[in-house]
Amino acid sequence: MQIAATDRTPAISLTQDPLKLSISGESFPEDVSAFYGEVISAVNQLASTAKGKLEVEMAMVYINSSSIKAMYRIFEGLDAYRLADNEVQVTWLAEADDDIMQELGEDFKDRFQSLNFTVEQHG
Amino acid sequence: MMDLSQAISLRNSLRNNHVIMAYNGTVSDDLMVTLADLLKERLVANDDIKRSKLIFAVFMEGVQNLIWHGKEHEENMGMILITEHEKEITIMCGNRIEKDKTQGLKDRLAQIEGADKDTIRQLYRDGMAHASEHEGPGSGLGLLEIARRSTQPIGYTFVDVDEHSVDFILAATI
Repeated sequence: MQIAATDRTPAISLTQDPLKLSISGESFPEDVSAFYGEVISAVNQLASTAKGKLEVEMAMVYINSSSIKAMYRIFEGLDAYRLADNEVQVTWLAEADDDIMQELGEDFKDRFQSLNFTVEQHG
Repeated sequence: MMDLSQAISLRNSLRNNHVIMAYNGTVSDDLMVTLADLLKERLVANDDIKRSKLIFAVFMEGVQNLIWHGKEHEENMGMILITEHEKEITIMCGNRIEKDKTQGLKDRLAQIEGADKDTIRQLYRDGMAHASEHEGPGSGLGLLEIARRSTQPIGYTFVDVDEHSVDFILAATI
């Protein structure tokens, strides 16, 4: 799955080889359910379509509260994949000095303590 | 029609209250994006990226609340006021809501109003998980987001319009 970024929606890619999910950019789509629905279902299907270590990289710039709800559903899917006896490595990248995205990464990490989850700031 | 002297006094009122952006009318998604771009340009000029991000987040959540609740009533108009005075920006968002829908909102505001930042963060973390338990796409997270990003406690008021409706205004200062 490859979704190109727009001014208000993030770039999303989900690849099988290597097994990796990346989400980066802005997120305030006009219709959050329509935008994230396909991504959430693809992540939910991972346990039956894939096996082995899944790398996840999130690098958000701005994300509105309704997108945070959708992101939470994605994390639930990732946790389900972990429960199916797979390793999941999440890297949450916040821009340097972006306290909001740094805190949000910590919030997700707190909610999904079973995931191998790091929050980092980058240049 | 407003006469010209009323227009002058309205302008003076905006100026005396340090209003930098004022809007009253239908709040659409397109309008939000347009105003957000204008606000971003102005904030970039201020050159304080951390604070700009706080202001932008509060603006977006406030306006998204108006859009969401505006969808419930065709004739519902939203108000957006932004003031800037002595390095403080205040964003006010107002709309008319049905009287019988105010109690849930009042309860949530009361919970947020007296809470310190750590409590608000905990409420936020709890709220992230509960996707469909409240109305609205952000399911109550929007108010918490606004409270969390504000540098002062949020302000709000409810003003009775008639027996069915109430004007609600939320103010956040950064």
